[in-house]
Amino acid sequence: MSVAKGTLEIRNLSKTYVVDNNPLQILKNINITFPAGAFVSILGSSGCGKTTLLRIMLGLETSYDGDALIDGEKIEGPGSNRGIVFQDHRLLPWLTVGENVAFGLDKLNRKAKKLLVDEHLKLVGLSGFEGAYPAQLSGGMAQRVAIARALSNKPEILLLDEPLGALDALTRMYMQKELERLWELEKITMIMVTHDIDEAIYLSDKIIIMSSRPGIINKIINIPATRPRDRASSEFMQIKAEILNEFHLGSEYPFAYAI
Amino acid sequence: MSISKKTKAFLGGSIVPLVLVIVWQYVASSGYIASFILPSPGKVIDTFVTNFVEKAYATHIAASLKRVMIGFLIGTVSGFSFGLLMGLSRTAEKIFGPFFNVIRQVPIIGFIPLIIMWFGVTELPRIMIITVAAFYPVTLNTFAGIRNVPKEYFELSSVYGYKGLKLIRRIVIPAALPSITTGITLALGMSWAMLMAAELFIQTYFGIGTRIQLGRDKFNMALVIVGIITVGSLGFFMTTIVEQLAKALDRGRIIQKEN
Repeated sequence: MSVAKGTLEIRNLSKTYVVDNNPLQILKNINITFPAGAFVSILGSSGCGKTTLLRIMLGLETSYDGDALIDGEKIEGPGSNRGIVFQDHRLLPWLTVGENVAFGLDKLNRKAKKLLVDEHLKLVGLSGFEGAYPAQLSGGMAQRVAIARALSNKPEILLLDEPLGALDALTRMYMQKELERLWELEKITMIMVTHDIDEAIYLSDKIIIMSSRPGIINKIINIPATRPRDRASSEFMQIKAEILNEFHLGSEYPFAYAI
Repeated sequence: MSISKKTKAFLGGSIVPLVLVIVWQYVASSGYIASFILPSPGKVIDTFVTNFVEKAYATHIAASLKRVMIGFLIGTVSGFSFGLLMGLSRTAEKIFGPFFNVIRQVPIIGFIPLIIMWFGVTELPRIMIITVAAFYPVTLNTFAGIRNVPKEYFELSSVYGYKGLKLIRRIVIPAALPSITTGITLALGMSWAMLMAAELFIQTYFGIGTRIQLGRDKFNMALVIVGIITVGSLGFFMTTIVEQLAKALDRGRIIQKEN
């Protein structure tokens, strides 16, 4: 494989907040490599510091011990080489869908902007919606627009902060397929924070399981490369059981005997 | 036959005035109340017509309109600037906030003797009190609107490198716009209210308030009522224009409300 851009490395990273004069360690000695072009999920219950980790990768959080590197260079702040999709779509209600997608494209002229907006709305299946306002969209559609906005900047790395957490179960599964399709098409690194185990198994090459207080990496699970994944396959179930065990939620009897 | 929503709203809104006029007509023609105290609707319409036939009444309306417009505009622009400053800067809020919050507790009419002493019975104090009346609501609502801009929008902005003037112009003001336009609409109402105070307490030859005063002095209540109706209609008309402008500026979120 050629040296593709979009490798993110976290090295010996620790982060401590001070709450009421008491130091509270959020992240402790985190080491992860996100290979270029991979889909990696960070799985953990709330409070495990996964959002803080994402903010560090995004460049919004810059005071910590250790290193956060993109293609070998230290992250100094937010940059156009990274895109972000938040849990809430965070579209600006006073802008049209088209204007929202063009939010990060200020430096381009009108024509180039329009080209990119059209391209990315088409990519997420929302051609023709550029004149609509966010309030006219359903939750799933709004999140598609948010993804289009993040991708229109042509990032090397797309960060996803529980991107489907606010959607209903069925829409969520459709959107997981969508994310997979976009990932295969764009060939960029995607890093997703989630607490949905199925979602993580369905989408990821690698799952990083974190536990809380302080946030440490418990386990890294590599998922076999076959895609698309069958949510009902025994392989899928086995990985799920393995992850559930990590959270002490496993069945006392392995499912194979329980049937 | 179906009646449109608008027609229904209009018919609904007409019920109260219609009943009032009928009761008024009944009481006036019953003879219990002297006609110089409560003139009949017919007498008022007569006065209305003769007033509007005279060119002089137009001069009075123009004088009042000019006062309101100047005071309202200066008050709105300065209120917006001041609200913006206090909203954006905690330091400015600390310096000006307490003084502002104390002084606005004083009813504006309370300042009239003072400003007459300082500026004389001239046009300046009349416009000044209208300006102050418009200034308060615009300041307060601009300030509140800015402070209530969701922090998520700021986070999004920093991801996309929006800062300084660009952040204010493209994010802060649009996000605060509904609150700002509420302030402006309130300011217009306050301006009309204070116009009456300005014209009744600070003697002048021209203005609708002057006509109301004249009607009182001459025991001509029809003239007073004509003045009241004139002020009411003009105020309603101007408020409607401002509300429509506000709606036009805020298309995306109006849709949200209708859904």
